[in-house]
Amino acid sequence: MHERLSFFVRRDSPIHRLNPMTKVVMALSLVLIAFLSPWYWTPLALFLLVIIPLTLLAKVAREYWSFIFKVILPTVAILFLMQALFLPGESKIVFKLFGLEVTELSAQLAFRNVTRIIVMISSFTVLLLSTHPSELMSDLTQRGLPGQFAYVVISSLQIIPQMQAKAQTIISAQRSRGLDTQSSFFRRVSGILPLVGPLVFGSLVEVEERAIAIEARGFTSRHPKTFLHQIPDTSTDKLIRWILAALVLITILLRLWPS
Amino acid sequence: MAIVNLQNVTYKYPLTDVSALQNISLKVEEGEFVAVIGPNGAGKSTLCYAIAGFVPHFFKGELTGTVEVAGNESINSTLSEWVLNVGLAFQNPFNQISGAKYTVFEELAFGLENIGIPRAEMKRRVEDAMKLTGISDLADRSPYSLSGGQQQRVALTSILVMQPKVLVLDEPTSQMDPIGTREVFGVIRSMAERGMTVILVEHKVEWIAQFADRVIALKDGGILLDGAPSEVLTSPLLPAHGFATSRYTSVARKAREMGVWNGENLPVTLDEAVEGFSQRVKGIKS
Repeated sequence: MHERLSFFVRRDSPIHRLNPMTKVVMALSLVLIAFLSPWYWTPLALFLLVIIPLTLLAKVAREYWSFIFKVILPTVAILFLMQALFLPGESKIVFKLFGLEVTELSAQLAFRNVTRIIVMISSFTVLLLSTHPSELMSDLTQRGLPGQFAYVVISSLQIIPQMQAKAQTIISAQRSRGLDTQSSFFRRVSGILPLVGPLVFGSLVEVEERAIAIEARGFTSRHPKTFLHQIPDTSTDKLIRWILAALVLITILLRLWPS
Repeated sequence: MAIVNLQNVTYKYPLTDVSALQNISLKVEEGEFVAVIGPNGAGKSTLCYAIAGFVPHFFKGELTGTVEVAGNESINSTLSEWVLNVGLAFQNPFNQISGAKYTVFEELAFGLENIGIPRAEMKRRVEDAMKLTGISDLADRSPYSLSGGQQQRVALTSILVMQPKVLVLDEPTSQMDPIGTREVFGVIRSMAERGMTVILVEHKVEWIAQFADRVIALKDGGILLDGAPSEVLTSPLLPAHGFATSRYTSVARKAREMGVWNGENLPVTLDEAVEGFSQRVKGIKS
């Protein structure tokens, strides 16, 4: 009945136990290294040697691969083809397709770009699979992120599915009164109008009431906030973050002074 | 000393011509349980918002007169300070769930986090409040997976944990079955007995008769009647002005017209009606 807009999978793993900030830093570092590294094979290496072990360690490999196969792989395959075909590159021709040439260099560039994108999406997927959104936001708020920002993120994750359910209720209600949702395009479009009214106006009223409700609970209070959950931040977490920062710095240096 | 004190309060919402509240003066003593009744559009909710500071801080509009709670005037305070003294819960429970929390326990702690209550005390307060309203078993559920009545209790509890001096409730039992209503009235009653001042808007007059100390009848933004439940709820003015009255009162009023109700006062609850009629029956038998 109630479906949440969240990737999170509850498991007991060392990755789940890490502080959310450590995982954010990890995701960002992986992305930075993948994009800044001077070697074209770095993103692939990161994927094979870091991301795959991470998914296994976090016990979310099954969920991760199902997401990759369903959503990422089709997109990335098309992207690779387009880039390989259209990126200019003066080198040996590998093969021809519809009169367009794929050269060694363009294939290499396409490969690098595509693996970069895979690393970027994968590292954030691992973060979201292994971190409860409320824990993530709570930790970031405790580190100084404005409470309003965290509220917008978390409440959207919960309220959007509720709104979808409501839209479904309105559609069912109108269909039971004879609204046509299955005939010609034009009739269906004209049928949307009576659905939009109740949903939009209803949502506006809801927003006002919700604003009153959270205001009544001191949402805009100037008092320094306290937090129900203490999110552990161990010395291991700090160590990991420093190592990641150092790796990013090394990558930047390698980029600036290619040997 | 009156904890809530309204003097000549008149209020107009923005972009409207008619005043939602007209020259209302009202004093409520500490620990008093006041019920507010009135037909639709009488200004019940607006009165709640005025006492809870949302009029004028949230809704803007024109307010004249003074609203005082615990000696402070609302116009001189900010809303976030005001809510420390006055808690507000209202009708639709779904919209009172913050959406920022994943369990009922966290939901109840939300307000306490905002006002900076230390963690240990926060947990203690949430646990106590859950026991009081009988929702301890819901602690780990998602607030969105609850029934309307359960959500309504969560909404009420989320205000109770803030421990305001004055509790303003705008139809807090609208989604509840009779059993839930009885329990919530019991909770509200015990809060009043502990010294919390309660202002409750409610349609269920039979419950008001049993639990409230005082009833205020609102009509067109003004106070029509103000007094003890037994007087106000049986007043002939109520049906004349379109108020919902208890069916027991209506029956007894008919009976009085026909000369078969001997009692001095009209009943509001079933028990009172039964007692009145059985006296009559005894009178016939003897």
